[in-house]
Amino acid sequence: MKITGYKLEKYIEQLDRAIGDANYPKGDDLMGMSILRIETDEGITGIAPGGNDAIESLFHVIEGKDPRGVVGLWKEMVDWVHKGNNEGTVNAAISAIDVALWDLKAKINNEPLWQTLGAREGRAKAYASDIGYNLSDDELHDFYSRMADMGIDGGKIKIGLNMKDDLRRIGIMNDALRKVKNRPYLMIDTNEYWSPKQAIRYISQIEQHFDIFWAEEPARRWDYDGLRQVSRGISAAVASGENLNDVGQMYPLISQQAIDVANVGVGHSGITGARQVANMCYAYELPVTMMNCPANFMVHLAAALPNHNMMEVVDPGREDAFESWDNHIEDGWIVIGNAPGLGISLNQDKIRALQAIELNRKPGFPFPRREGAGLWIKDIEPGEVSWK
Amino acid sequence: MKITGYSTTLYEFPVSRRTGDANSPSGRIRGSGSLLELYTDEGLTGIAFGGAGAAPQIRSMVEGILMGEDPRQVTGLWKRMVDRAFKGGHDGIVNDAISVLDVAMWDLKSKFNDEPLWKTLGGSNPKVQAYASGLDYPLSDQEIEDWYGTMAADHGFKGGKLKVGLDQDADLRRIARMKKGLEHATDLPNLYIDANEFWNPKQAIRKVREIEEQFDIAWVEEPARRWDFLGLRRISDSIKAPVCAGENLDTLGDFLPYFHNRSADVVQVSHGMTGITCALQLADAAYGFELPITLGGSPGNLNAQLAPCMPNFLTLESQGPVPDDGVMTSDIKIVDGWAVCGKKPGTGVSYDPEALAKQKVESVTASSGSSPFGRRPGAGLWDNPPTKEESAAAATGVNGTFYVPPHGSRNQ
Repeated sequence: MKITGYKLEKYIEQLDRAIGDANYPKGDDLMGMSILRIETDEGITGIAPGGNDAIESLFHVIEGKDPRGVVGLWKEMVDWVHKGNNEGTVNAAISAIDVALWDLKAKINNEPLWQTLGAREGRAKAYASDIGYNLSDDELHDFYSRMADMGIDGGKIKIGLNMKDDLRRIGIMNDALRKVKNRPYLMIDTNEYWSPKQAIRYISQIEQHFDIFWAEEPARRWDYDGLRQVSRGISAAVASGENLNDVGQMYPLISQQAIDVANVGVGHSGITGARQVANMCYAYELPVTMMNCPANFMVHLAAALPNHNMMEVVDPGREDAFESWDNHIEDGWIVIGNAPGLGISLNQDKIRALQAIELNRKPGFPFPRREGAGLWIKDIEPGEVSWK
Repeated sequence: MKITGYSTTLYEFPVSRRTGDANSPSGRIRGSGSLLELYTDEGLTGIAFGGAGAAPQIRSMVEGILMGEDPRQVTGLWKRMVDRAFKGGHDGIVNDAISVLDVAMWDLKSKFNDEPLWKTLGGSNPKVQAYASGLDYPLSDQEIEDWYGTMAADHGFKGGKLKVGLDQDADLRRIARMKKGLEHATDLPNLYIDANEFWNPKQAIRKVREIEEQFDIAWVEEPARRWDFLGLRRISDSIKAPVCAGENLDTLGDFLPYFHNRSADVVQVSHGMTGITCALQLADAAYGFELPITLGGSPGNLNAQLAPCMPNFLTLESQGPVPDDGVMTSDIKIVDGWAVCGKKPGTGVSYDPEALAKQKVESVTASSGSSPFGRRPGAGLWDNPPTKEESAAAATGVNGTFYVPPHGSRNQ
């Protein structure tokens, strides 16, 4: 089997609801997305949500090769980009190619990817994540209530700008999740808005009211000294890593014991790279948590990791290009079916329709950094969000 | 595909050259093997060699966990076996059992896909660097030069690993002879030396520094005890050569002090460390810490199948281009100093049924077993060069005398 070509399609997704965090609390409901297809001489096509124009400069590395050699091809791509390094746009391109190759490998075996990766069961524990600083109290309650109805017993809320609002909103999440469990897992996420000492002051106050399971990105992604300081200064675990690109960038966080939980995801240069990060964490007795993604496709890898804790489920509705995907949430777990590969099938008509939509503005996502970050806390201004 | 049963077969064989290390300078003349076969309802059989002393543990794992399971789900089943061994820890004999079962399941997974294991694991190139490892303590100076000379001239090996540690003057001489042999293949051979934990850290520093006045050493293997992360690190800080260690560790967790303290510059991995599953985890972890991986000696050079998917793979230990037990067959060839995996589905390591039937035994004799010598007295304390009796036994060659020194003698 040989790789013969690829096709990248970009489109703008209109989400079912806006998403927002401490950097962009008003949120936005438009998201630029893409689909990568990798074609073979045997008519089997690998797909991946994601991909960008850097694929054009990388494709020659894999062209004519057997897609089943995905781990070796990953290395060949990473070595190819050596000088500029496996970061940023190039990293995102390698990630998408890697995912499409894993999809192919599993499809060639006619098995779901979780089995190709050796998992005993196609399932991973889920937690709910609102990415919803923009959501009103009622909307927030409805979100976690809906998640709790699926048996999910943990939630991660976006906070960081106003203690009074945050305590109230954490309480709303807690109340909604208590349908499932008397002491649900409560996580907070500030997306690098604070400095380390702000984080310690802020989280310590929250911990007087709530038992927090982890605090995510309480300092900058690379600040291993600061993250370690936060971890020593609070009771909750510190989670970080989702914005780093590979094992090399994770190295200081792990070796300096700066984090207590590692966020892993497709952004760690694909399934191959995310698995490396997870295995590296496993050697350090660190649990990992899988980052959210369209149709939760990374659950295949989560199911195969010995140290996976629970996977982030956001569910904002970004699967309009997909005809179907073979997983669902049941009793708080993401349960994967037996469809070959990632289990995602595309709807070309829908993709064309999405591409044809004319928009009068650009997507707000990915969010810029909010003023005051790491320095002072810029409170949410009246009218900035619907609920204030 | 479901696992339906298993069998194990023990066998013995005469070795093709006398083998030993710092703990056994007189050497062994017989070896033993254990074959595990894991049966499935699809008619495919998973094969792995090893686990000779682990029959009860293998039975317990198969009957308690693996029967009726799909071996393609090997990573998850590995976790179940490891979790089952939780309280006692998955080391020692239990670890041998898990390892050999894990290998047999990976063999089945790739046989089911009708592809060689290196491809199942995602490798894109089946050709990996290898070096010759003589296990050569009992060999004379001339035999050392001849053996490495053959490895270099006939098989293209450009690196060799010599057993050292008991007699500094002899070691200096023998390294030179190994080098001369390897020069049949290259002007700049990679010279590795291996003391099998015989030294303490300061002994290692003294001896290796002196060796380094004459030779550029590509690594020093196990210059101190396996768990002595402080000592290994200290040695690394004091010599030029990389410190290579890890082959006697059992689990990923055992490596945490190595990683955290940068005790080993080259991490030695094998499928005997809780199977192929754990070897892959280790390679990923080492890659994250920018540490190269070397794969240890393996039946039929099986470890070559793992190397193509390891992003930081350095070189493979080969104790010879073909299995020397007369039973094993291997689809992994040594070509011009490289180990090249073939196209046979699975690990490519199997056996000759007729030879196995002839060499099969009910139980392994002590002299053929895994460790007939134990640790040498004086290890980590004082010099204990080979005795006259040991040297005399070694000189009798592969068909000669098997001799284990009695404890309590003058040098013991």
